[in-house]
Amino acid sequence: MNTVTRDLANEDDALVLDGVLKSYGDVDVIHGIDLAIQEGEFIVFVGPSGCGKSTLLRMIAGLENLSGGEIRIDGRRVNDVPASERDLAMVFQSYALYPHMSVAKNLSFGLENLRVDKDEIKERVNSASRLLQIEALMSRRPGQLSGGQRQRVAIGRAIVRQPRIFLFDEPLSNLDAELRVQMRGEISALHHRLGNTMIYVTHDQTEAMTMADRIVVLSGGRIEQFGAPLELYNRPANRFVAGFIGSPRMNFLEGRLEAVNTLAVAGIPSVHLARPVATLPARPDVALGIRPEDVLIADELEAGDPVSVGTQVPATANGVEQLGSESYLYCSLPDGQTLTVHHAGQTRVRRGDTVQLVFATAAAHVFDSTGELVVPG
Amino acid sequence: MSATIPSADPSVDQQRKKGGLIAFLTRTRGNPETGSRVGMNDLLAWAYLGFGLLVILGPVIWTVLSSIKPETALETFDTRALPYAHIVEEVPGIGEKLLYEWTNDDGVTREVVKVGPTRKLTDVVATDDVETVLQAPRLDLVPRDEVRVATENYLDPLLQRGGASQFNIGRLLGNSVFVTVVATLITLLTNSMAAFALSKYTFRGRTTFMLLIIATLLIPPTIILVSLFFVVWIFGLSGTLWGVIIPAAATPTGVFLLRQYMLTIPDELLEAARMDAASEWKIYWRIVLPLSLPALAVLAILSVIWRWNDFLWPLIVLISDPSVHTIQIGLTAFSGENDTAYNYVLAMTVVSLIPITLVFGFLQKYITTGIATTGMK
Amino acid sequence: MTPIGLAAVLVGLVWVGYGSVWLLRNRSYRVTQAHHFLADLIGFPVEWAQNVWGRNGVPYAFLFPNLLLFGLFTFLPLLLNFYVSFTSGNSISLFSRPWVGTDNYQQLFDCDTVFEPRSCHASGFNFWTGMFNTFKFVLVAVPVLCIASLVTALVVNLTVRGRGFWRALFFYPVMLSPVVIANIWQWVLHRKGVLNATLGDAHGVVNSFAGIAGIDILASVMVGILLLITAERTWRGGGVKFTTDDSAEAEPSLPWASLFAGLVVLVTWWASPLAALGIGPVDASGAATGQLFGFDIGLCLALALGLLLLWQIADRRSLARPLVAICFALSMIALVLIQFDAVFDLGRFRPVNWLVTPKTGWPFFWLVFVYTWHHMGFYMLILLAGLQAIPRDLYEAAEMDAATPFRTFSRITFPLLMPTFTVVLVLSLIKAFQVFDEVYTLTGGGPGRETFMVVQYIFETAFTTSRNYGMAAAGSVIMAVFIAVFTLGQLWLTRRNSGI
Repeated sequence: MNTVTRDLANEDDALVLDGVLKSYGDVDVIHGIDLAIQEGEFIVFVGPSGCGKSTLLRMIAGLENLSGGEIRIDGRRVNDVPASERDLAMVFQSYALYPHMSVAKNLSFGLENLRVDKDEIKERVNSASRLLQIEALMSRRPGQLSGGQRQRVAIGRAIVRQPRIFLFDEPLSNLDAELRVQMRGEISALHHRLGNTMIYVTHDQTEAMTMADRIVVLSGGRIEQFGAPLELYNRPANRFVAGFIGSPRMNFLEGRLEAVNTLAVAGIPSVHLARPVATLPARPDVALGIRPEDVLIADELEAGDPVSVGTQVPATANGVEQLGSESYLYCSLPDGQTLTVHHAGQTRVRRGDTVQLVFATAAAHVFDSTGELVVPG
Repeated sequence: MSATIPSADPSVDQQRKKGGLIAFLTRTRGNPETGSRVGMNDLLAWAYLGFGLLVILGPVIWTVLSSIKPETALETFDTRALPYAHIVEEVPGIGEKLLYEWTNDDGVTREVVKVGPTRKLTDVVATDDVETVLQAPRLDLVPRDEVRVATENYLDPLLQRGGASQFNIGRLLGNSVFVTVVATLITLLTNSMAAFALSKYTFRGRTTFMLLIIATLLIPPTIILVSLFFVVWIFGLSGTLWGVIIPAAATPTGVFLLRQYMLTIPDELLEAARMDAASEWKIYWRIVLPLSLPALAVLAILSVIWRWNDFLWPLIVLISDPSVHTIQIGLTAFSGENDTAYNYVLAMTVVSLIPITLVFGFLQKYITTGIATTGMK
Repeated sequence: MTPIGLAAVLVGLVWVGYGSVWLLRNRSYRVTQAHHFLADLIGFPVEWAQNVWGRNGVPYAFLFPNLLLFGLFTFLPLLLNFYVSFTSGNSISLFSRPWVGTDNYQQLFDCDTVFEPRSCHASGFNFWTGMFNTFKFVLVAVPVLCIASLVTALVVNLTVRGRGFWRALFFYPVMLSPVVIANIWQWVLHRKGVLNATLGDAHGVVNSFAGIAGIDILASVMVGILLLITAERTWRGGGVKFTTDDSAEAEPSLPWASLFAGLVVLVTWWASPLAALGIGPVDASGAATGQLFGFDIGLCLALALGLLLLWQIADRRSLARPLVAICFALSMIALVLIQFDAVFDLGRFRPVNWLVTPKTGWPFFWLVFVYTWHHMGFYMLILLAGLQAIPRDLYEAAEMDAATPFRTFSRITFPLLMPTFTVVLVLSLIKAFQVFDEVYTLTGGGPGRETFMVVQYIFETAFTTSRNYGMAAAGSVIMAVFIAVFTLGQLWLTRRNSGI
């Protein structure tokens, strides 16, 4: 499916996954992952819970054995290399700070195990604590720290190791919303500063979009798509990626493809597609994917708005959310399908009103009955 | 609570107070506000608890009180609570004599000592007039008592003097302490190692090993008494303290208790340590053991109690050699040989009671909650 | 030194010697890290296992010492026991023990009937005496222990203030050694000890009433008033009221009813109505005793009536009120019959030698008592934990449903406590079967062989003068079979509710 990634693999890649498989007994949880990550990239694994992203990360870390395939770091096969010798460092979801050791001891424990010179340890711990501004906390125990401080210590523990690759396993999921935004920025800044390869696992697509150089979207133990954030947003490979990336999520309207450029959807017999499809799929049942910002309110169109060629669609506004700078309308179409509309600025539409919607079909996608994108011609 | 708010009108307060008092004296259904009352239920419960207090602490306190009574008081089964000793005084010209009080027919009370054999009418002299021999009825002579703590009950056996010279309590206590300390250390080490393996690893045969340990829990120790002695003899351990220490060192209870506790230590912590290049032994020694301290403390206390109170097995293994007797065996032998020397037997009973009572007094919360959570012995 | 001892020393030398070399070659330690070196040396076999077999070998290395001890000192003896039971002689060397087949078992079963130990020859006599005493002990001590710990757990659970103290108090005896317990109780139960002295004093006080003129009428009136008060309280109900409506009739009160029932039984017993009416079996002199098989029939009937009353009231049955009236009337009639002078006249007090006097049942009684005293706290603790695991809101729901305390107990507490109670039953049964320490130190199996238990048989046969290991092993095997049968039977009986 993702032959793209295999073609990209070359000798310079920092990390290569080649047909990686994982099964517990008879249950396969990872179905052959191929992936090549370049030096210095910030890669985010994103997907719903249970999609195998954490398992994949733990296999890279060496905490889980592979059931098949191969992992290479700098061209070296590391399947049988223990975790501590892969030159990686990991920040855990629960931070996994040793509760009975001081912060300083937490930072130096790994270096002591590696028999690093005493002065060297001191030097590295000091610089890491300066970098993360945790100098004042060095003698405290993890139990006496706040969530954000623990997070910094956990990152510090990874930094002092000076690893080849950093691994983050949902590190921000235990923080409150405000702190999460702040730490997001700090981790990004850290990446710029250190320039190391980083692999970051999250279920939050916002984190993925804001932090990643490239995103790996996983579902059911398979890679759905691998690419830069906007590439995923603008050209989702399939209905899953299209629905997963972007908030609020893309609208999917069930309909039938009448011809390469007309679609029967929402009780309207012929919606004209700005980009006709290349080939008609085997079954004419398709879904029209259109993002909320690509649905326009006819009454509130302003000059310069990209008005699609096509029909206006009547809809009932069941709910209106006014956020001031933007508004959301939750509408139902004549055939009962629902639709979210994003409107920049404020709207005059009230709950219960009937509105005329215009689909900007130039930005719309068509997915066939299997969920694959029907590539525009 | 309106009752706690003082009202502006003092007469209302007065009224309320009065009403409260009358209600208190005449109430039959209890406090109408809370619906609860001191009813027969509570009285019966308190009566039961009072009975428990008497039955449990009564004999112990009685023994402690008796152990500081002089030998003579014990021989006459003096049931007064305080340790009364019959006063002995140096009477000029007569020597050391027991003091009595005698009220003669004229109602004059005098301090007298016996100067002849005890008969129905005994020859006595008053201490203030040793020349005049008086005849007093035996039953009218009341012993002059004083309260005296008989420290010799304790000091004689401890210093191996007086009537307890053959009783080497120092060696008995030393043996018991050695057995208790060494056995507890071995128990803690082996049990925590097994518990670590069973709680933190998945490996072939784990269920089998678990079942084996459950099986040992179900085997009553007394049914393997004879053949266990054979095994101990084959190993050359019979007649040595090691014969008591080693067979009982691996306890299924300890494995269970520690395993339950170790299951609550997050696996991520171990993985973090693995990423920190710690060996498995180091993870156990530096991470898991320090974090299991509460459970280890409970097991240590339990082990101390078991080993200190152990009776049948030490009796079998150690009986042949008096130099390795533990305090429990020594005490039994001593009680057997000194049917009448109650003063020493009681004092030594109290001596062997003290360590356990102290341990219990300070640590009862750990002990009771620890046992309640494991529910095994 | 035995070859095995030598082997142990060699293993130790290799451990320390090779371990030190290995560690020092593979790692570096600073002088200040000597304790790390020692810790690593203790775990050297585990480190070595990880080095050789990787992480997969580590759990086995961690399990090894514990399993070795279990194997050598639990499972090996278990198998060896069968072998020993088929050999004879008093040699402890396994190779010089002649194989005698089932001889030992045959000797144990060499009885006209095993149900009568006296009919056994050879060792069977002591063994079966011990076995039957143990059965008797188990059948008495286990229910007593379980009920006592259940009641104590319920009462302690009820107390709001000082629960920790009461829990600790009842647990304290568990901590004491059997020798200490025996010494304490022997001192208390001595013929001239504090128990006999207290009983003598009480006896004297009661006796002194007997001579007072008019005591008969006074006592009758006092008891009558007490009966009246308790009956009224029972009838009117002092218990928890579930409605705020004052016109609603309160239910009869269980705690008052228990006092009332106690008084009724006491009065009926004193009056001994059957003897007074001349009904029932007669004694040698031809006078009616009101006794059958040594039991006072009147007392038994009164007890039955009292229990019926309690049950009716506890479960809010319709007969509760009529029964209160009947009991009150009966006890009033009984009160008239009582000669209080005779009640108070107890005669001369003779101190009992509690632990020594044969054929009185007292040694056995005190054995059960002291055993319960010693072990009750442990089972109480388990039951208390079980009680506290029952969610509070169930009780609140029951209160909303207007359940009586008795129904709350029988429908909520007891069923939910049943898994814990089963654990307590099984544990106490297995433990009671092995009773030895308390017996040996308290009565030594005496007087005669009244408290001689089967473990004492095993101990004395194997480890005192005769050193008949084969016979003792055979006895152990039979005992193990009985324990297994009893435990399985008990589990089968409680299977529906057991958590095991």
